[in-house]
Amino acid sequence: MVALKLIPQILSWAVIALVLLRGFPRYRTTVSAAACSGFALGAAGMLALFRFLPGELCFGLARDVVGGTFLLAWGVSVAAVYRSTGREKAMSWGERIAQTPPFAAALALASGFIAGAVCACRIPGSEGNLLACLILVLAGVALVFAALALERVLPASFTVSLPGLLVLVAALLLLGSSSIIRLDLFAPLTMKVMKFTHDFVHQFFESMLIPDHLFIRPYLWGYIGLLFGKEVGFWGGLVIWFVPALLIVLAIRLERLPQVSHIRQGAARRRVTAAAIRARGFRLVVPVLAVAVLSGAVYRSRYPSVEYWDPKPMPILASPSGEIFIPKKGEVNLEDGQLHKYLFKQGGKEARFFVLMTPEGKLTVDLDACAICKPDGYGQAEGTVICYYCKTLIPLETVGKPGGCNPVPVPFTEKDDGVHLDGLTLINTWSGTIQSTARPKEGGK
Amino acid sequence: MRRLLHTIWGGLASRALPPLVIGGFLLLYIGIAFGTDETLIALMEITRTTVILVALLALLPLNHLIRLLRESASHIELRRALHGAAAGVNPELFDETVPLSPTASFAGLEERLAAEGYQTRSTGSGLAAWRGIGTFAGRICWRAATFCLFAGILISLSSRASSRGSVIEGEPLPAAAGGGKVERVVLADSQGAILSKALAMEVTPPEAGAARRVFGLYPPALYRGAFIYPRYLGIGLFVRFDAPDLPGGYQKHCILNIHPPGKEDSADITGSPYRLIFSLAQPEDGSDPYKTGRMTFLFKVHKGKDVLFAGSAPAGGEFVHDGYRISLPDARRLVITDFIRDYGVLLIWAAALLFIAAGCLWLPARVFFPRREMLFLREADTVKAFSRAEGGRSRHAGVFHDALDLIEGRHSGNP
Repeated sequence: MVALKLIPQILSWAVIALVLLRGFPRYRTTVSAAACSGFALGAAGMLALFRFLPGELCFGLARDVVGGTFLLAWGVSVAAVYRSTGREKAMSWGERIAQTPPFAAALALASGFIAGAVCACRIPGSEGNLLACLILVLAGVALVFAALALERVLPASFTVSLPGLLVLVAALLLLGSSSIIRLDLFAPLTMKVMKFTHDFVHQFFESMLIPDHLFIRPYLWGYIGLLFGKEVGFWGGLVIWFVPALLIVLAIRLERLPQVSHIRQGAARRRVTAAAIRARGFRLVVPVLAVAVLSGAVYRSRYPSVEYWDPKPMPILASPSGEIFIPKKGEVNLEDGQLHKYLFKQGGKEARFFVLMTPEGKLTVDLDACAICKPDGYGQAEGTVICYYCKTLIPLETVGKPGGCNPVPVPFTEKDDGVHLDGLTLINTWSGTIQSTARPKEGGK
Repeated sequence: MRRLLHTIWGGLASRALPPLVIGGFLLLYIGIAFGTDETLIALMEITRTTVILVALLALLPLNHLIRLLRESASHIELRRALHGAAAGVNPELFDETVPLSPTASFAGLEERLAAEGYQTRSTGSGLAAWRGIGTFAGRICWRAATFCLFAGILISLSSRASSRGSVIEGEPLPAAAGGGKVERVVLADSQGAILSKALAMEVTPPEAGAARRVFGLYPPALYRGAFIYPRYLGIGLFVRFDAPDLPGGYQKHCILNIHPPGKEDSADITGSPYRLIFSLAQPEDGSDPYKTGRMTFLFKVHKGKDVLFAGSAPAGGEFVHDGYRISLPDARRLVITDFIRDYGVLLIWAAALLFIAAGCLWLPARVFFPRREMLFLREADTVKAFSRAEGGRSRHAGVFHDALDLIEGRHSGNP
């Protein structure tokens, strides 16, 4: 079962090894050794971390490292465009370093380390024992050797540019991590884009002294309101996601062809130009492949192979004094670690909330809504709850803490028999939250 | 020292500077995002209060200004070279420079290039050929726009001062606005495509004989150095409240943010447990009481957490209930207004206009009339050919190569 779950990550690693070997064909042995060592270190290190640190921290660390490679891909792609559109012909110091064996080894080591860590994130907990670690490392090393054999049969004309190589490695790491819901980066990215757009529009209106929606025609405000929807987060996220690969395609496409003005025979000029165009075409293969891989990562993020636990909210009433009481043991067991949703109605108003026991063994009562998104509610998956609106995953360890897309906590008292909360406070908290998150939908700033 | 200055100048003018600075701010944004959800606001605040970040941001307009000057200088130098007025030609002005045989002859070249649609000019020492309009004007507009945009952001971030006050009919303007009396506030429907309402705040300046000013919605009026930025509409209400346990009663001028009808705002009765919640009643004919001036106020009287009673009264009227009396002798329109001193806004508006101009100038020139130029120059004991193209590069390269073949072919006796 674990082996099946590891297929996306392990396949990603195989392709990373292959492209690294083709990227540095003169240093095959160095790259292979560094890649194997990196993979072993990453896998073993991550499994060790899972033993000594909380899961949330380990997943967060792995996600940040993968996010760092994505940022690096962004930087490299911008630099590639800068290089292609400039007039500088001399090789920069960066390019000279990139052609040395230490750089090839460092890149292979780092790629292997991150890929090994991502693979290890797939088998944490009870399955993360020494044997699992050993099998994973052996599989990783075997795939490097398979890639070494395969690389030798690839056509020599298939060359890889350094920016193309880096962006494909980043894309493959993102593909591997997107299959693990707690490492997925695309969903949080869309949420951040949505929030940024909201803040930017607000600040833009304020800075440019543009009148509030009160004075603007409703049809126009309707269009402005589109900027506050989750679609903006999704499409904006897509742009940020694909731009590095597309910039590298553009950079290769904009590379200047060799100067042939000194050649006096037209046929010879055309031959040189055609050869350069053909070589440029081969170099485009890798970044185009990165676009395809990134599409796969988006697909895995949008349609994860996980079923969410999403119970129907149970109606609940308050006592005449306005107190809501939910027993710990009764129709439901509040301490079973699952999400228990409730619906409370009072005076024509209603509030949806849930009770959950966190992995630390603490009960938490929260609105089935966050302070940012439309109140589409939450579902529960392995180690997380998910905001259905923006698809952000919230680690169970942080449920009960306010901020971001976390469910809004509701004050409550835990006693031996169950949890007690005030109905009016619940209704007010819900109304306040919904009012602020519904504003964008209704076209407010 | 001279070398150091040259390096600094090169760095300030570098194409790499804007992506590096923007990348730096992006990383800072990402870092802040780990700590707070209000990332953009936090970034703006941190930038505003950190000298290093302000200096870093200032590099952007400076870079664009230097590049604007450099591009203008290069353009002039290029024009001089094509006119044969330059002493020597800088090869960096062109995409390609080809050294030719010293005995190369330009005979027949002018006719060949003219046949390809190029305009030509023979100078004493060479031949220049060109076609198309060129994107220089568009590029300069773009550079100026970018300069204005970043300079505007910089000024706005570092010097914006804002204060909020209420502009009330018949009352003096808030001190932040610099004095004057508000004669009238008028809200009307607007026929414009963007704004649904037209707001006019008529103000008489304090100086004798000064003309009356009318402040509207957009563009915001500039009055004594501050932009008048209307935010919300409200009512200034004079309230008298008598209660059985409130000897002597209580009276207060309330600033109520209660427009549009239905929106509630509260007024505390200082030193008592009473609180009044007001809203504007929606007239049956659907009209806006702020526009018509026919205002009826709905109110709820709270004592502690309890609601004692609710009622309504028109402006100038009163309501009596169970020993309580609420009278509303005076109600005036007011506009909650921000008075903003921020001259960066002007630059950002200018940038918007310049961006539009840049697009209008650049796009047609680049798409339909790309500039292509060649220069064949005989210097002391050398002959050089120069070429550059802003678009249509392949075709231009073909013509250039043919021209070189012609020159060199004649020289080698193999036309």
